[in-house]
Amino acid sequence: MSTLDRTWWHKQWRHARLWRRFFAQAVVRETHFRAHFLTTLLVGLVQLGLGIVPTLLLFGFTAEVHGWSRAEVIALVGVFQIVTGLMATFVAPNLNRMTTYLTEGELDGVLLRPVSSQFYLTLRWINVAELTNVASGIAVLVIGLVQADLSPGPGQVVQAVVLVGTGLVLLTAVWSAMSFLAFWLQSVNPIGFVFLNLMEAGRYPLVFFPVAVRTFLTFAFPVAFATTFPVRALAGDLGWGTVALGVGLAVVAMLLVRLVWRRGLLTYSSASS
Amino acid sequence: MNAFVRNLRVVRRMTAADIAQQSVYRGAWIIFMLANICMPIISLLIWRTALASGAQLPVDERYVTTYFVLLGFVTMATSSWMAGFLAQDIRMGKLSSWMIRPASLLAGFVANNLSEKFLKLFALVPMIGVVWWIFRDSMNIPAGPGRWALFAVSIVLGAMLVFTIDILIASLAFWMDDVSALVQARVIIASVLSGAVVPLALMPEWSRGFVDHQPFRYTVSFPVEIVAGQLTGSELLAGLGFQLGYVVVFAAIARLVWAAGIRAYSAVGA
Repeated sequence: MSTLDRTWWHKQWRHARLWRRFFAQAVVRETHFRAHFLTTLLVGLVQLGLGIVPTLLLFGFTAEVHGWSRAEVIALVGVFQIVTGLMATFVAPNLNRMTTYLTEGELDGVLLRPVSSQFYLTLRWINVAELTNVASGIAVLVIGLVQADLSPGPGQVVQAVVLVGTGLVLLTAVWSAMSFLAFWLQSVNPIGFVFLNLMEAGRYPLVFFPVAVRTFLTFAFPVAFATTFPVRALAGDLGWGTVALGVGLAVVAMLLVRLVWRRGLLTYSSASS
Repeated sequence: MNAFVRNLRVVRRMTAADIAQQSVYRGAWIIFMLANICMPIISLLIWRTALASGAQLPVDERYVTTYFVLLGFVTMATSSWMAGFLAQDIRMGKLSSWMIRPASLLAGFVANNLSEKFLKLFALVPMIGVVWWIFRDSMNIPAGPGRWALFAVSIVLGAMLVFTIDILIASLAFWMDDVSALVQARVIIASVLSGAVVPLALMPEWSRGFVDHQPFRYTVSFPVEIVAGQLTGSELLAGLGFQLGYVVVFAAIARLVWAAGIRAYSAVGA
């Protein structure tokens, strides 16, 4: 334990306060770039509209697929929009910089600071404008729920929120692990594209995929926890077992990513010296 | 004619040099192509599930499967990513140094396009091969080399069409400060209208007349349709005619706009 913090809890609290500063700074920064805010909003809305086209076309040919109605899938698209919006706000601006951090030697400056370097690299930058996509996602989710005639109780809402949380942690862990490969590969920009393209599978319920792919999307690339399971929780047909499984997996994933980070850091030999 | 031959020679040389340079990033191309086939595979699985659970589609399983297996290849082969870069070269004045060189700035972009696609082929074709093998029982494979030849011709025409559309958009940088929003709009609109997201055959009945005749269909969907089936001989000929027509029209407009832009160009930093 460093002399900065008396206990482990003090350290976490210090990082939480630091993150609040990052957020406040990001908000101030956003007010300086109002055009950026507007384009992000417009592009987000157009992408949301076009992203829903395949779903609408699909349900023009059939009333339900494997027990999912059109309205339920629309609710799922809403959750997908919320999750991708949150990732684009808090995670993407950081992991997209990973190559620069390592190849330009910017990591040197981070390692010298009295802060967890992994925390700093994963959460330093925040793109506030992307929060508009979270708002539009919530709107789509509500439309879907109303159309599907679902009115989830408080227990189900808690389940869904916890599941979205674990989904976010799991996906961030996977993306982080992929980005930390930069320690060995030097350039990981294309890996970000693979991640974002795989994410697209989250637009559809898990049962729309063959069994082998379902396993992949639950445990290897756990997008199921971020979209399918929360909607099923809201529909009331998911037990607390899945929620516990998600929390357990999230903890394991965080520990594994921590390990990858530590191993990677050992191989880091700065870029300039 | 002399200028044309000279430009061709420059493009050939620059392409070879670009290939040598870009092949340093072999690993990156493989990962890029992996990302490229994710979406078609996801769509393929979704639509096959819909068919299996009794959705009444206007096309059969073989069409859907063949369509999405080939889709990743065709979107790569006809793609262009230069609009943003070309616009930047115009805005930042890099164009100036090219105006005293014995070839057009565009020659460099053609070479970049060809060389990257050449390298991507090596990464992409084995991946498409694996997906093809997995779904081999429901693939439509046209008999005889005729359709494959038309497929190849149509891909070349499609690539030319996308490239000229990109020149057109980037040329607006002669008059506008920022074309990135336009570039983004083109990408988003084209992804739906070209059939890269959903096969155009699945578009609703009321949109048929528009969807079948708009230019973006000829950038991706039409080449795939040639192999995936359903097109009759006369539809094929008409389609190729339309495609060629669009290439000529867009090339003519792009040439006009480019020439007007060069005249309006006042080099930054000169």
